[in-house]
Amino acid sequence: MSPAVGIAAIAAVSVATAVIGFYGLRISRTTGDFYVASRTVRPWWNASAIGGEYLSAASFLGVAGLILLSGTDALWYPVGYTAGYLMLLLFVAAPLRRSGAYTIPDFTEARLDSLAVRRVTSLAVVIVGWLYIVPQLHGAALTIRTTTGLPPWVGSTAVVVVVCLTVVAGGMRSITFVQAFQYWLKLTALAVPVIFMVLVLGGNDFPAEAAPATNPTGLAPAGPYQNISLLVALLFGTLGLPHVLVRFYTNPDGNSARRTTLIVLGLLSVFYLFPTAFGLLGRVFTPGLAHTGQADAVVLLLPGRLIGGPAGELLSALVVAGAFAAFLSTTSGLVVSLAGVISQDVLGGSVRGFRLAALVSATVPLGLAFMTDSLALAGSVGLVFAFTASTICPVLLLGIWWRGLTDAGAIAGMVTGGVLCGGAMVAGTVLGAAGTPFWLAQPAAWTVPAAFAVMVLTSRATSARVPRTITRVMTRLHTPERPLATER
Amino acid sequence: MTRVRVTAPRSAARPASEPREAAEESAMGQVFVRSLIRSQLRLALVVAGGFLLILGAFPLLLGAIPGLAETRIAGIPFDWLLLGAGIYPVTGISAWLYIRSATRNEARYRDLAEDRW
Repeated sequence: MSPAVGIAAIAAVSVATAVIGFYGLRISRTTGDFYVASRTVRPWWNASAIGGEYLSAASFLGVAGLILLSGTDALWYPVGYTAGYLMLLLFVAAPLRRSGAYTIPDFTEARLDSLAVRRVTSLAVVIVGWLYIVPQLHGAALTIRTTTGLPPWVGSTAVVVVVCLTVVAGGMRSITFVQAFQYWLKLTALAVPVIFMVLVLGGNDFPAEAAPATNPTGLAPAGPYQNISLLVALLFGTLGLPHVLVRFYTNPDGNSARRTTLIVLGLLSVFYLFPTAFGLLGRVFTPGLAHTGQADAVVLLLPGRLIGGPAGELLSALVVAGAFAAFLSTTSGLVVSLAGVISQDVLGGSVRGFRLAALVSATVPLGLAFMTDSLALAGSVGLVFAFTASTICPVLLLGIWWRGLTDAGAIAGMVTGGVLCGGAMVAGTVLGAAGTPFWLAQPAAWTVPAAFAVMVLTSRATSARVPRTITRVMTRLHTPERPLATER
Repeated sequence: MTRVRVTAPRSAARPASEPREAAEESAMGQVFVRSLIRSQLRLALVVAGGFLLILGAFPLLLGAIPGLAETRIAGIPFDWLLLGAGIYPVTGISAWLYIRSATRNEARYRDLAEDRW
């Protein structure tokens, strides 16, 4: 596609994001607006916003890329990304909303009555957020390079600049509108090209180059261990993602938190049909993309390859716009939740502190993105899910459902999970994709149980430290709000 | 333009002065609360277990019946349809069933508890 079309598409999405962000500025006035949009966002808006925030570079580009490379094995990624929300609904959604806390560190501090637990949780949240932003910036760099020929750093820098502008200006209220808009943009940007391509392919006899079952690079199929470990990471990682959980506080009560999650499941189920279709079409008609190391760009390149002409250009522009919406929305969601945590814990929680923290939250991963190379996007995001599942997930699940959890147990478990999973990620980077044994490449199957085990055993050993507030906290987490809510 | 200073609530704990909370924290109130928590946890575990069983059964089914994976429906191989589209309705139905039962558990708790205060 021509560079001008790509640049125009990227500019249009960035401007739309900024405009909606500034429009939101006029109605974000109070503390509640700034942090959690007053908790009055309707379920449909909120669900669209969660979908917009959650569907990142990994979903928009990475899933199709991995499907192109490894076929049905990669279908477990979208399944896990979606089913993670089922786990979130079953175990976390309503109690977390009823806790009344604003962030995950707020929750662990209130539940365990311990400032030390708060600090460790904040550290885990910041690590997860930074690790999650890096692949978004890699995706932006890839998109810029593929579609405009500009140097890759332009893409990552552009994302960070737009995100900083919108977040610093508007806080969470405008973010809700931006995110909801971006879910629908992302869905359109994948659905319209898929429908066009299927119609065109149905009318012409475009030659199929390969069978769907053939891996274009001759990649060996994944064994049961890899698939199970991946599912553990995705199912249990989703319920600890800081930018997803902070959205649940914007529901008015526990029941609407559940309704929101149900709508999110529907939105994600519809969305993931299209990256899957892209991957399948890519496998059958353009398997050559896998050889040139451009697997993650299959979504960007396929409409131009299969349709061509002005129609192909227009569809490519739409896909590029959707991809940038994905980078912008996930990055801004993460930056908002990281800035909330950093400003409360380090900077005293003022508006100025929040803005300063937002700048820090966005620029550190930019540095990390410059220093590292882009791996398969869906794979690197999968590792972040493994890290979340090994650190934040155990403290949330046990904190909500088990009275015996203590501050010492929570810290020991989070540190164990973080060190094991972080170590596996570092070892995997050092050894490279070819040299990493399979149990290090997908660590969740052993790091998650280890974190849970250490957390339970340490809590048992320190059972005298169970906080005295436990009865009140558990009652509050699990009992329904009164029909006429007395709190605002 | 007016600006409002954001003061972050470090802990949003509600004061336990309301009579309802005092009643919930009494020994009798706690019996109801504990039974609610137990039934919600049991429900969540049953739904999660059922969903994971179905999820595990899909690849086993494809492996157990030879030729099933390659069967084409509207040109798309069956294994792609099953894993790429067939799992999503299962998540949606599980979620819907869970919400119905969880809301019913809470309504039952409210009936029991509100008789008392």
